[in-house]
Amino acid sequence: MNKEKFMSALQKSLNKLSEEERNDILHDFEEHFDVGKSEGKTEEEIALSLGAPGQIAKELMATYFLEKVKNTSSTSNIFRAVWAVIGLGFFNIVIVLGPFIGLVAVMVSGWASGGAFAISPILYLLTILINPGSFTFFSLFFTIGLAGLGILLLVGMFYATRFITKLFVRYLHYNVNLVKGGMK
Amino acid sequence: MNIQFKKGALELCVLVLLNKQDHYGYELVQRISDQIAISEGSVYPLLRRLKKEGYLTTYLQESTEGPSRKYYQLTEMGSIHMHSLIKEWHHFAAGVQSILKEGGQDE
Repeated sequence: MNKEKFMSALQKSLNKLSEEERNDILHDFEEHFDVGKSEGKTEEEIALSLGAPGQIAKELMATYFLEKVKNTSSTSNIFRAVWAVIGLGFFNIVIVLGPFIGLVAVMVSGWASGGAFAISPILYLLTILINPGSFTFFSLFFTIGLAGLGILLLVGMFYATRFITKLFVRYLHYNVNLVKGGMK
Repeated sequence: MNIQFKKGALELCVLVLLNKQDHYGYELVQRISDQIAISEGSVYPLLRRLKKEGYLTTYLQESTEGPSRKYYQLTEMGSIHMHSLIKEWHHFAAGVQSILKEGGQDE
């Protein structure tokens, strides 16, 4: 592989990074090739010792997206970070994607039940509008009680989501450090 | 050699080399790959991570031959981090050594 091929492969694998970040990385490798050549090495030799551009790119992506999560843990950032870390190795499909799907499922169900509980009096009143004969005070108070519970659950979920997100991001960092990246 | 092991050691090597003097990327990579078999490209992601974590800074300096080069410099925080890694390393190495000795494999 010559310099041109190496650089274009690297550039392609980094297309999800911001332009500024990508150019900065490419510049580092340009410099590496230039210095190597000035010391009498061929482009092929230099590219061979650098290793596979795809693997280098995967590590760069994982670091980049984890950094972004640290700054703003928006949903899309977390998803990108999860994918980037999974990209580091097949093993991660099991140890990252598994817990991730599990946690997402728990959180979605928590938010959904909280939401459903909270709006249950409204749903009940709608039912009464359609079918006025079925009204009982017991059901009304029951749904109001349920709404209180739902609101508590939603507040709880708010904190739980923040806490779990933080914990999971730490787990991702731990994985990046643990899993192979470009080593022989 | 075990990969996880090397990855941790690589970080320590980079910090120690930069503690002695500033290096540009190529030079740093060569210093390491002279001693340890690594894919040289993996040093760059590591350097970027260490910079993001505040352990390194970079500056550009003109070179006598060709364009300017990016030099890496250890920060105060990087130095503290290095010392704690060295301590961990010695602790770890001493542990392994004493187990080897117990097993009669320390030759």
